[in-house]
Amino acid sequence: MKNKINMHLIEYAINSILRQKSKNFFIVFVFTVLTTILSSVFFVTNSIKYELDATVDALPQIIVQEMKAGRYNDIDVDKVDGILGITGVEDAVARVWGYYYFEHMGVNFSIVGLYEYEKQYKESFTKIIDSTKLTENSILIGAGVADVMKKSFYKDYFNFIKSDGTLKKMDIAGVFTHDTLLESNDVIVMSKTDAREIFDLEDEKAIDIVVTVANPEEIATIASKIELMYPNTRVITSEDIRVSYQNLFNYKSGMFLALFIISIFTFFIIVYDRASGLSSEQKREIGILKAIGWKVDDVLKEKFYEAFIISFFSYIVGVSIAFFYVYFLQAPIIRDIFVGYSELKVALELPFIFDLQTLFLVFFLSVPIYIAATIIPSWRVATLEADEVIR
Amino acid sequence: MIELKNITKIYEVNKNNKVIALSEINLKIQEGELVVLKGSSGSGKSTILSLIAALSKPTSGEVIVDEKQISKLPDNFASLYRRDNIGFIFQKYNLIPTLSVEDNILLPLVPSNPDTADLSSKLHVVMKKFQIEHKKDAIVKNLSGGEQQRVAIARANVNNPKIIIADEPTANLDEKLSLHFIEILRELKALGKTIVVATHDPLFFNLDFVDREIQVHNGKLIL
Repeated sequence: MKNKINMHLIEYAINSILRQKSKNFFIVFVFTVLTTILSSVFFVTNSIKYELDATVDALPQIIVQEMKAGRYNDIDVDKVDGILGITGVEDAVARVWGYYYFEHMGVNFSIVGLYEYEKQYKESFTKIIDSTKLTENSILIGAGVADVMKKSFYKDYFNFIKSDGTLKKMDIAGVFTHDTLLESNDVIVMSKTDAREIFDLEDEKAIDIVVTVANPEEIATIASKIELMYPNTRVITSEDIRVSYQNLFNYKSGMFLALFIISIFTFFIIVYDRASGLSSEQKREIGILKAIGWKVDDVLKEKFYEAFIISFFSYIVGVSIAFFYVYFLQAPIIRDIFVGYSELKVALELPFIFDLQTLFLVFFLSVPIYIAATIIPSWRVATLEADEVIR
Repeated sequence: MIELKNITKIYEVNKNNKVIALSEINLKIQEGELVVLKGSSGSGKSTILSLIAALSKPTSGEVIVDEKQISKLPDNFASLYRRDNIGFIFQKYNLIPTLSVEDNILLPLVPSNPDTADLSSKLHVVMKKFQIEHKKDAIVKNLSGGEQQRVAIARANVNNPKIIIADEPTANLDEKLSLHFIEILRELKALGKTIVVATHDPLFFNLDFVDREIQVHNGKLIL
């Protein structure tokens, strides 16, 4: 039985590519760069989205904040008792936390105050507390915080500047890593007593209250009950936060979209350039092939192989470079668009997400378009009378 | 075997500019016959060759080869007809200059996807016959005119066609090489091929193995 794939035709296509080395090298180069940009955009987006989703999933179901004349204020700790009295509320914890600006490095740390004996409002904090003993005047820090502190020669302790301008020296008891780096990278965990001292917060006050609901379906109902019980509070559900995170993500994605559009635009210019016609030499070659007995579909098959080899090779190389760029080099420059607002976030690692859909999307946005752009002008010439083309 | 019936061919350069290349011509060429079409440039010789090879279609009339009407063949069938029946030696050789001698010669065989062994044996036969074996791997653009012509002849014969068509085959050759080509034609004629040559080279006139010389003038045959 005769082999259906004509290897001689494929050989001719490869030969044809090699005969026009410089021109095809340029096409492969541009195609690869564009595929790399496109793939990198998608890979980074996927990874960040995964991180954000993981972060949002770990957020408290309800956060209650005190408002005074429309302005955010510290909340009374005794409101916890009232909230716990609402049917369906599983737990309520008054949180002591806040941002601490480390002026020397120009970054913000997230300070979280915890009591070892309290039920922690996040599973991750339970793990941190369980793994390392948290004593008075000591801190547990995220990997990003540790890096920044090391740069400022704080290896064993750190000096916090309190609101009255005096220093509070605290020992670094340990460094923790976390499943969701975006969330924990800039975190400093300490006792609530120490956190209150740094933020100058009275014992009966907290920053906010987090509420856990037994049945997630009831979050909205319980949130409205809390609002009714304490009209001067603002009640935020995890869904509200998800939406605002999503908005931030979408805004950042907009920049990526711009990059994406530029890439596509450049690609189409190349495609248009190819589609708008063949050189006289290329036309003549098609005419010769027709004159010696090649059918239109033989010519088109050969052109298909040629375009497929160039575009698929560029696609594979482009995607591979993007994999390396995003997941090994951690997407320098592009990643900063998303997470560059604090130096701490630079330590964020983009998790490896293998998404076939993304690979297919990049494939369909590039390879078939290039093949069509190669085949259409060849078809136009191949369907002319051979005599007319070679004359 | 080859019959041109009432053939007219008009080239439309543009709407207001038409060129009548052939006007109501009739011609019969028998199997194994060698016919030389003589005439000055623009007389219509090449157009006749082009019609016999189904490279173009007549404006009116019929081209019949082996009792088949080839002037109305759809494009793909015309290609198949050329592949199986025609060996065309063009005036400017029409080789692909950046390919090797071997690759150029094998081009007509590529679409039929032959076995590599079959390909090699056919290549070997024609290269030996037309004395181009020593240049097998050379790039065509680096060859001399005579060598390029031998490649063109080898390519035209690799499919072992019944009809050989040569359009001004000696136009770019010196006398020695032209005479060599004429010898090749004699060999092809001896093999029983039907040969049609269009030329205005006097070397082709009054050759003992040429069956007929036909004068073409202003798109008409002067018999």
